[in-house]
Amino acid sequence: MRRFITVAVLLLGVLGRTVAAEDAPVCPVAKAVSEYAEFGRIAVLDQGRVKPLDTYARSLLLQFSGRSTFDGEPAVTWLARVLFDPGRASSYQVFLINNPQIPESLGIEVAENRRYSFTQLEKRYQDLQRLATAAAGIDPKDRDIVETELIRIHENVRLYSNLAVSFAFALPHPDFAVASPSLREQLELPAGGEVFSYIRIALKADVLQRLAQPLERLEQSRWSAEQQEVVRLGSNLLRWSMLYRELPVKIMPSYRDADEGWLSPMDAMSTGLRFAAGRQELRLLEKMLLTYWAGRDLEFSLVAKGFTESARQRAMTVYGRELKNFPLELTYNRLSPFLWAKILYFLTFLIFAAGLMLPRAEWLRRVGWGVLLLGGGLHLAGVAMRIAILHRPPVSNLYETFLFVGLIGVAAGMVIERATRNWLGIAVAAICGYVFLSIAAKFGAEGDTLQMLVAVLNSNFWLATHVTTITVGYAGTCVAGVVGHVYILQLIFRPQDKQLLQTTHKVLLGALGFGLTFAFLGTNLGGIWADQSWGRFWGWDPKENGALMIILWTAILFHAKIGKLIGPLGLAVGSILGIIVVMWAWFGVNLLSVGLHSYGFTSGLATNLLVYVLAQLLFLTVTYPLAKKRMNA
Amino acid sequence: MTSRYLKLKKSAPVRWVASVRIAVACLVWLFVLTFWGTVAQVSDGLYQAQEKFFHSWYFLQWGFLPLPGAQLTLWILFVNLAANAVFRFVYRWANVGILIIHLGLLSYFVGAFVTLHGVEESNLTLREGETANVAQAYHDWELAVWSPSDGDALEVTAFDVAGLKSGEVVTLTDPPLEFGVRLFFANAQAYTRGKPPQPNLLNVSGINDLSRLPLDSAPERNFPGGIFTVRLPDGSRHDVLLYGQESQPTPLAAGGKGYLLQIRRKRYELPITVTLKKFEMKKHPGTEIARSYRSYVQIEHQGIQRDAEIYMNHPYRFKDYTFYQASYAVDQRGEFRSTLAVVRNRGRLLPYISSLVTFAGLAVHFLVMAFRRRSR
Repeated sequence: MRRFITVAVLLLGVLGRTVAAEDAPVCPVAKAVSEYAEFGRIAVLDQGRVKPLDTYARSLLLQFSGRSTFDGEPAVTWLARVLFDPGRASSYQVFLINNPQIPESLGIEVAENRRYSFTQLEKRYQDLQRLATAAAGIDPKDRDIVETELIRIHENVRLYSNLAVSFAFALPHPDFAVASPSLREQLELPAGGEVFSYIRIALKADVLQRLAQPLERLEQSRWSAEQQEVVRLGSNLLRWSMLYRELPVKIMPSYRDADEGWLSPMDAMSTGLRFAAGRQELRLLEKMLLTYWAGRDLEFSLVAKGFTESARQRAMTVYGRELKNFPLELTYNRLSPFLWAKILYFLTFLIFAAGLMLPRAEWLRRVGWGVLLLGGGLHLAGVAMRIAILHRPPVSNLYETFLFVGLIGVAAGMVIERATRNWLGIAVAAICGYVFLSIAAKFGAEGDTLQMLVAVLNSNFWLATHVTTITVGYAGTCVAGVVGHVYILQLIFRPQDKQLLQTTHKVLLGALGFGLTFAFLGTNLGGIWADQSWGRFWGWDPKENGALMIILWTAILFHAKIGKLIGPLGLAVGSILGIIVVMWAWFGVNLLSVGLHSYGFTSGLATNLLVYVLAQLLFLTVTYPLAKKRMNA
Repeated sequence: MTSRYLKLKKSAPVRWVASVRIAVACLVWLFVLTFWGTVAQVSDGLYQAQEKFFHSWYFLQWGFLPLPGAQLTLWILFVNLAANAVFRFVYRWANVGILIIHLGLLSYFVGAFVTLHGVEESNLTLREGETANVAQAYHDWELAVWSPSDGDALEVTAFDVAGLKSGEVVTLTDPPLEFGVRLFFANAQAYTRGKPPQPNLLNVSGINDLSRLPLDSAPERNFPGGIFTVRLPDGSRHDVLLYGQESQPTPLAAGGKGYLLQIRRKRYELPITVTLKKFEMKKHPGTEIARSYRSYVQIEHQGIQRDAEIYMNHPYRFKDYTFYQASYAVDQRGEFRSTLAVVRNRGRLLPYISSLVTFAGLAVHFLVMAFRRRSR
């Protein structure tokens, strides 16, 4: 944090007053550029993955503000401002604080849009740090929402302060002021200014060293003003290299061949300047900053491209596969396939609703089918792109389970529609697609969803088999639940249409059987995986138990039907309750925070889960007596 | 035979035992137990919840209400399923899928039974360069007795201490010792001071009393202790206090023959010797997320040595033993210690077979249903 206060804020005042650079005169106010496509293509290593700066910017902005754009502009534009013009960017209100208690406790006026600027938070940083440190000392299970949020905000502010100094090496700073004209000449610094950047001086470190050598034999009191400047510059170089370490924005592949780790520009200042490639790349980054300030679009893009090519060439041997996927990932980012698919599913549902008013309009059903196909196509394309980008099966984190279950639900709906041609499948598909993509969007709002995996999950074979099949099982059971709703509503509103009810009942049985088969297969494959990696087929882990509960629940329904303990209505009610069982297995057990599968879960979803369960119980309380009456009539 | 079978088939008790209602009741109760046993893990921990709900025949709720545990429920389901197969099931081609499914389920029961009674779970923690042929249990304890000896090989006799009760007597034949249990706690606290010393109570660590602690939800945090009256071959009796956290065994001597006694985590002798040659841990670059960890080991069996690698999702198997990469630790000097989980499971392949058979049954049933629908 101190870094930021000592450097980034100061340097902007300096820029306004005295500016000097080799070839690009910097204006007192950054003009900024308007074209960021090349900049967005720069590769960055973040969370173990090499990704385009465009993705990095999106996930950072999502992490800070819960949105992927700022002020109507893409995240990459915002990131460029934070990196190149931190003084101005620090007044942008990007820090999302959900709970008003936090700004109140920090003495900051509560903002209606719940977003605050770095400048606001920086002023109260000491209080924030004190509160967050206290909260971090509390057992995570005992923390309340405010305490959890305090920790998150504190981490975000710290990360932001580090981001804001990532390009400080290229901005003039008083630490590198050279008053003596003769020293400026010896250091071959450009004329026209007295204040220089870290990189300008660091590139002349050898000259400084040579000038400092005679001073070892000379008493300090006899040093000339120029010699004192030499020592000051040298010690500031050392101080900066110690102070600015381990910074984010790791865009420079390591200069040692075997090293997989990447460096931020500030880290590269310490280790990369020894290498020709390092010097060239740092100068390109400096030039990028200068052209940004000068507002020279074309030059900015060309420099960014030059940097990308240089870094890419060096990273190709280790990260060739990831780098080749960049165009695809950028398309994925631009396309937002899941957002559009969600909209199309909603549209499909509206068409279905219109179809209820016009039951004989076959053309309308065809339109609905067409829109559904389009939505499903985009949804499938999105999932396929993710598979291609990460070289991994479709499901490897909780976010992806929602995408995938939604997709299977849509596919199942399409199969049902092909078989029944009576809107049932269209309705099922639209509901499954819309609901699951909405939940996914909520999860996706936490940062980059294209994540790396922990060691035990790092197995494409088991991810492809166990995880995929169990999620297909979830999907099947959810589809059965949706069909169960439809059956009850049909029973209430169209009790005389026996043919329709019979068809829906058969579809329900098929969906339940499909769900049971895949839940069973997925659970067993999970057991085999567990036996392969932990040495036991079954360990009563909450996630395993959840899967077992789905199997038991569907088995109960089938056996109760065979034993004539329940009829078609009972089966419909059972399959609606089956969704609750699936929700429990899928993410409810994660609430318990025990066991081997307890990955990401937010408290907000716990409330949503409860609301869902209550809504279902209410639905059944209202509809069941009515349906029962119609059934007996 | 046939008439008796038909008579049985029609008899009310047999029809009841083989009824679908029993199956539904068992499935519902298993569903409840599974949910309950999952939620209970939050407060009681996995081990205790597993013992109470899943491994038990019955358990007492609120201290007085006996409820069936999963083991009893599964036995009832097993009998119901078997009775159904013999007396009620209609054997015809259309039902072949259902038949296969339930055959697979029956084999699950067999697998569960074998696993419940035939699995030894232990672990082996090694530094780089270290060798071992004995693995240590996670939370099973034994009372071990051996004689001090100059040689390398030790003859150790041991018995399980789980479930020992006051007043119980355990007699060993070699060495001929008798252990009378004066008191025993599955989880105990030891005292060295504060209580008046008990005369003639032997203990190497200076412990003079024990008190009972409630069982911890993490079973590895339970340390048993007890006071035993040991009768030596010469007929002399000695009171010995032993506690699970002691690092030294308590010596006993009579008639020129000495014995060492210790309560320790149960040891399992392995059929092979394992040497950790190197341990390697990789992280995703620039993060603390582990990408892989891997033990390079040398296995020796009857003088033949071979190298092997053990890492996540890639265990080493030897007969019915399997060695898994479980965890690792780094000490202050930066040296790695790798922990390998050792599982001996004689019925390891049974769940694989059951899964295959049951899934085949589900698939066949699906195909049969689809075929019938089409032919209609």
